[in-house]
Amino acid sequence: GGAMSFLKRFPPPAEGVRHQQPDTEAVLAGRSLGAGTLYIAESRLSWLENSGVGFSLDYPTISLHAVSRDLNAYPWEHLYVMVNAKFEAEETKEAPMAEGEEEEDDSDDDVEPIAEFRFVPSDKSALEAMFSAMCECQALHPDPDDEDSDNDYEGEEYDVEAHELEQGDIPTFYTYEEGLSHLTAEGQATLERLEGMLAQSVSSQYNMAGVRTEDSIREFEDGMEVDVAPVVAGQFEDAEVDH
Amino acid sequence: MEVSHSVKERTIAENSLVILLQGLRGHVTTVDLRDESTATGRVTNVDAFMNVRLAEVTFTDRQGTVSCLDELFVTGRNVRYVHIPDEVDIRATIERQLEAIHRVRYFGGRDKGRKEFPRAKYK
Repeated sequence: GGAMSFLKRFPPPAEGVRHQQPDTEAVLAGRSLGAGTLYIAESRLSWLENSGVGFSLDYPTISLHAVSRDLNAYPWEHLYVMVNAKFEAEETKEAPMAEGEEEEDDSDDDVEPIAEFRFVPSDKSALEAMFSAMCECQALHPDPDDEDSDNDYEGEEYDVEAHELEQGDIPTFYTYEEGLSHLTAEGQATLERLEGMLAQSVSSQYNMAGVRTEDSIREFEDGMEVDVAPVVAGQFEDAEVDH
Repeated sequence: MEVSHSVKERTIAENSLVILLQGLRGHVTTVDLRDESTATGRVTNVDAFMNVRLAEVTFTDRQGTVSCLDELFVTGRNVRYVHIPDEVDIRATIERQLEAIHRVRYFGGRDKGRKEFPRAKYK
């Protein structure tokens, strides 16, 4: 018996509180901890009894949370939170268990500790908002120990874009200047090659009229001026193009 | 077809089978959890970290006790298996999700597309 030692006095969270629900009872493994306020903050989930003591749960330790309205399972609608940790009140199990079972669970190394919290708001209609706020906060804490997936993609999406451009997918929805600033070296080379081809076909039409675009194209192929477009009107007033 | 608003999440999804799970939105599925409980419900969302949100859930805890939950959110870490319903065409689902991502990436509007890829050269 006695007070739950994991209960501490601390000030309510001030920052990043996505949802706050007063007049909420906290229940651990079937044992009521009293009435208080639930704070669903970005950094952690906290509950403070009206007397000022309470506890916090870190999102990485929370396995799942749910809205329960099944009165057969539990007599009050509540927010159910399953935590991957041991808490003192765990001596009292909600579901009646055969004597041997509890020991089996404890001695089985594969079974992780589980604590079941229920947060019962006096205002049932708040459960949706509480649930959603928890989903949002939980998503802010992806599993850092996730070794299986290679989620280090900071740079990779850029590569995808470069590949797409290489395949001749000229970004016609950019203005010329804007689009050019996004090209990789490969993209630049592709652009120059294609524009060279275009200019040649154009110049073959215009040669008859005396416009020599070929020279300016050749100049840029050698000059490696990667930030400059060969065929934009107005940019190359100095270029050797006879109009 | 909803895709994540996050560039990072879209990239993760595009490069892993999470993209298949994201395509299960609206389907009734069974999720086996790490602690051997199971949850059967309609998928409302799966994010890039494999956090799964289900609605109208039948939850069977590790002791076998069955209860109903209106909504359930399981963290990716605690998901062991997600059963793909028989009616789901896996390949078509993946292709649809990829198309949706590419639509957002390349045709979300000129300005929106640019902001996704901030570059050193960007003036």
